[in-house]
Amino acid sequence: MNIYITGYGLISSIGKNIDESLSSLKNYSSGIEESNLKTTKGFKVGAIKATNDELKKEFNIKTDCSRTALLGIIASKQAFYGHNISKNIRTGLISGTSVGGMDTSEFEYKKYLESEKHDINIYQQHSSGISSEQIAFELGISDFINTISTACSSAANAIIMGARMIENGFLDRVIVGGTDSLTKFTTSGFKSLMIFDEEFCKPFDKSRKGLNLGEGAGYIVLESEQSISSTKKEPLALLSGWSNASDSFHQTASSPEGFGAQLSMLEALNKAKLKPENIDYINAHGTATPNNDLSESYAIKKIFKSTPPFSSTKSYTGHTLAASGGIEAVLSTLSIQHGYIYPNLNFKNPIEETELTPNLKFIKKNKINHVLSNSFGFGGNNSTLIISSI
Amino acid sequence: MYYIHAISSITHQNTFRIDNIIKELSPIKENSNLISPDYKEFIPGAALRRLSPVLRIGLTAAIDCKNKIGKKFDAISVGTALGCLRDTEKFLKTFHTSTSDFISPTSFIQSTHNTIAGQISLGLKNHAYNMTHTQNNLSFEMALIDAIMCINEGKINVLVGSADEKTPFLELLQPKIISKKYPLSTGGSFFSISKTKNKIGIIDVKTIFNSKNTELEIKDFLKKHKYETKDIDVILHSDSNIEIPKSCHFINFLKYSGLYYSASSFALHFAHDYLISKNKNSALIVNDICIDKVGLILIKSNEA
Amino acid sequence: MNNLRENLKEQIIEQLNLEDIKPEDITNEGDLFGDNGLGLDSIDALEFIVLLESKYNIKISDPQEGKKIFKSIDTLASYIEKNK
Repeated sequence: MNIYITGYGLISSIGKNIDESLSSLKNYSSGIEESNLKTTKGFKVGAIKATNDELKKEFNIKTDCSRTALLGIIASKQAFYGHNISKNIRTGLISGTSVGGMDTSEFEYKKYLESEKHDINIYQQHSSGISSEQIAFELGISDFINTISTACSSAANAIIMGARMIENGFLDRVIVGGTDSLTKFTTSGFKSLMIFDEEFCKPFDKSRKGLNLGEGAGYIVLESEQSISSTKKEPLALLSGWSNASDSFHQTASSPEGFGAQLSMLEALNKAKLKPENIDYINAHGTATPNNDLSESYAIKKIFKSTPPFSSTKSYTGHTLAASGGIEAVLSTLSIQHGYIYPNLNFKNPIEETELTPNLKFIKKNKINHVLSNSFGFGGNNSTLIISSI
Repeated sequence: MYYIHAISSITHQNTFRIDNIIKELSPIKENSNLISPDYKEFIPGAALRRLSPVLRIGLTAAIDCKNKIGKKFDAISVGTALGCLRDTEKFLKTFHTSTSDFISPTSFIQSTHNTIAGQISLGLKNHAYNMTHTQNNLSFEMALIDAIMCINEGKINVLVGSADEKTPFLELLQPKIISKKYPLSTGGSFFSISKTKNKIGIIDVKTIFNSKNTELEIKDFLKKHKYETKDIDVILHSDSNIEIPKSCHFINFLKYSGLYYSASSFALHFAHDYLISKNKNSALIVNDICIDKVGLILIKSNEA
Repeated sequence: MNNLRENLKEQIIEQLNLEDIKPEDITNEGDLFGDNGLGLDSIDALEFIVLLESKYNIKISDPQEGKKIFKSIDTLASYIEKNK
C-alpha cells in the first residue's frame, strides 16, 4: 500500500514557512545565534525571532496555549492548507513533543517553589496530550488525536504511527510531525549533560563539542490511495519505508557501533524494498555531540558500502528535539520534490575513526529518488524514515 | 482477537503476582500507599538507584510478564499520561534553585516520558520496536491500538501497558484541574498479548474525542462487533454518568484503582480476572476520566 | 588525609544514591567505573563533577578530563589535594 505525502509545513529559526526555510538553506544562513532570551541567555540557540503574541498576530491564532502548541498550530496549518475536513475521510493528528506546555508551566512552578502565588490554571496546558488536542482543534480534527513522546525521535515516531494507522485501515489521512519550544527545562538539562557547544555546532567534525538547541515544528500530511482519489490532492512524495528499533545500551548514550541505528536503517530499507545503494541522500540525526556523530557514522558505514551524500541540517536549525524528525521529514520531501541536497555547516575535518565527510554545498540534482532520514532519542530510541519520489 | 497471555500490575491494591485480584480488592482510601514488591528481586542495584516509582513499576511489571511467557517481546508499547512526574519536578527544583555552573543531570535524563519504555528495553536487553504514547486519559488506549497494529503486522508477542505516578504537587492541583474526585494514586499494569489463543481476548479498542453522547458511542462500538449493551456482562467505568441496562453489572474501577489518568490498564486487569473468576463472557471498559474524551475496550472470554 | 577518602566515599554514596553500598565496601584503589568496579557510568561522572564543585569548589568543565580523575578514590583524593 502506498502512503502519499500531500502537504507539509514547518517553522524554525531558519524560516516561518517553506520559502523562507529554503532560502536560508540555499544561502548557507543558519538560524543559530547568541541568545538574549530569559530561558536560554548566553547560549547559542536556534530561536524563532518572534514572541508568542507576535506569532499569534501574524498567523491569526486565537487559542490560548503554550508556545509548543502555538508552533505546532502554525506548522500544521501550513501542512493542512488546501485540505478540507470531510465526513468520508477519517482524519487524525499524531504529534510528537517532549516538553508539551513546559515553556509556561516551568515559570509557574518556580513561583510555587518560592512560595509565591502561582496560577494553577496554567498547568492545564502542561500535558503533552493537551498541546496535540489544541493543534487538532485548530485544524478541526477530532476523529483521532495522539501524542508520541520518545524524546528526540518523537516526530519521526509520530510519522511512523500515522503511516501504520493508514496501513492498518484505521485512518485515511493523518497530519503527523512534532513540535517543541525552547524551555529552561531542556536548556538546563542539556547543560547538565555538558553536551553544549559554546560555539556553533559542528556536526560530524573531528572537533565537535556538542549541540545547539533550537525550537520549531514540522508536519507532513499522509494519505492513502483511496483518500487521494477523493481529496484530489497532488502527491509530493511517498513515505516508502520506516522503522523504530532500540539500541538497548544506555539511557542517554548511543552504543559505540550504533547498533540500534543500524537496525532501524536496515529495517526501513527492507520496508521500502530498497537496497542501500538506492539512497541518494541521508538527512542524518547529526546532533554534533561527540557520542552521537561517531556512533551514527559507524552505523552509516556499516549499512552503506559507499556512503551517499549526507548532512545534518541541525547546523542550520539547532536541535529542535521532538520537532526535529518532523522538520527533517519536510526538508526530505523538498529534497525529493526539487532535487536538493543540503549542506552541513561548520565542518572542517572528518572524525578520525570513521573518516566520513558530509555534503558541504547546496546542490540541485536533476532527480533524487530516495532520501533516508534518521532521528534518535534518549532511551536508545532509534527511528528511520525513507521518503521517495512518486 | 488479541489474547492476553500475562498480566502484571503494581498498584495501591494487592495486585502483583496474584492469580485473581478480584478477591483482594477493596475501595481505595485516602492516603493509601503503593504496594511495592521487593524490586531488588527484579532490578540490579546499579539500575534501581536511579528509578522513581513509575519506572520501578514499569520495569518490574515488564520483567514479570516476560518471565511468565518465557519469550522475548517483539514490540513494546507504553502509555503514560504525565510521564515521569517525580523526576520532572525534581529537575525543575534542581535548576530553579541552583546557583552553580554544574547541575545534577540524573533527574533530567530520567524525566522524559519514554524513560519507562526505554528502561524496559535496557532491562530486558530488547532491541525491538519501542513506543511511548501520551494522550491524557487515553494514553493506555493509544498504547493498546499500537500493540494491536504490531500484531496485525506480524509481531508475535507484544508488551503493552501503562503507568503513572502521583506527587504531592499533583495532589495540590487536583481540586482545581482534575474533574474526578477520587484519591490520587500511583500504578501500572502491563500485559503480554498475542494472536495465540488463550482464555481472554481483546476484541477492539476505540478512542472518541469531543464525545457528545457516550451511550450512543458505546452502542455504535458494540454494534460493530454484533453486540448490544444488554449482552455485556460487566461494564467497568470511571465514575461515568451513563445509562445502562439493569442486566449488566456496573463497576466503577476508579473506586479500586484510585485516580491516575492511565488507570484503564488497571480496569483491563480487573475485567480479565472478573471474567475468569465469575465465568462470564464479555466486559466493556468505559474510560472517560477526562470529560468528553472516551476510551472503549471490549474483551471476551474464550471459555465461558 | 585518610579522612578525605572516607568523606569522599560517603559523599559519593549520597550523590549517586548508592543505597546498597556502605563506605567500607569501596576500596581506595579499586575502579569506580565499569563492570569490574562499582558499575558507574557516564552520568555518574557528571554527578562527580557536581560533587567536586559543591563540596570542594573545584571546577572541571571538560567531561573527558574527568575520566582519569574519577578512576578510583585514590586518584580523586589526590586530585582534590592538588587543586584545593
